[in-house]
Amino acid sequence: MTEDRKNILTRVFTDILEQMAFMFGDKASPDDFRETTEPMLRAQMTYRGNLCGSLSLAVPEAMCPELAANLLGTEPEDAGERHIYIDALKELLNVTCGNVLTAIAGEEPVFDLTVPEVSELSDAMRETMLNDETTVYLLVDEYPAALRLTVEDSA
Amino acid sequence: MALNILVVDDSETVRSIILKTLTLSGLELNDPLQASNGKEALALLRDNWVDLVLTDINMPDMGGVELIEHMKKDEVLKTIPVVVVSTEGSATRIEELKEKGVRAYIRKPFTPEKIREVLDEVLGTGHD
Repeated sequence: MTEDRKNILTRVFTDILEQMAFMFGDKASPDDFRETTEPMLRAQMTYRGNLCGSLSLAVPEAMCPELAANLLGTEPEDAGERHIYIDALKELLNVTCGNVLTAIAGEEPVFDLTVPEVSELSDAMRETMLNDETTVYLLVDEYPAALRLTVEDSA
Repeated sequence: MALNILVVDDSETVRSIILKTLTLSGLELNDPLQASNGKEALALLRDNWVDLVLTDINMPDMGGVELIEHMKKDEVLKTIPVVVVSTEGSATRIEELKEKGVRAYIRKPFTPEKIREVLDEVLGTGHD
């Protein structure tokens, strides 16, 4: 992935975070992500069109009730049920993916997007993200986050 | 006069986000109807009159496009304006939806101001 794509991913994600959830993302280092000991969640979805690939987002689970509360306009304790904050994380990824694809490929191509899936971030997934030089690292209101966009030409 | 609106999305959280934004937009709403897919939406529409349907596209069981196609085949339901709320930004996809009868397309993320602007245009509720 070119540096341009990393910049696009960072810009689109931070803009959406700010618009949807009033949360702010700053660039971070891989070490911020590597060294966190908090339980993490990974949301992932794939896309298919004239480009194919996937978008993954890993964040601490502790961030998700705050994210959901901001999306819903409630207090974090009112968005503490797991299914609510998991859905909020899926929605953040879904909106990011649609907007990133438009930013990269323009407004003409049509992409089919899968429904986002969320799981606990395993050590193997964490290593995959850390070993990929295209992964983008951010601090979202002090929570370490990582975003990984894979892009391949359609077969 | 307060509006009767049906919001269709497979995520309860996303429906809540849309309803919160509608409230913030200043639109006066009666208790909104909610459905998690096109099938549930059609069942609600058979028993309830609404002024507007706001729907997602990608949903299990019956998606937004199929919902719109069913509504357009029904003499009563085809008169209800449908607005799509989705993350996709393809101009080609938006044009396809408009050809199917979708009145407007709201792309996520959206603001209360944006949703108000679009719905005022669709419903003719804007200020002169």
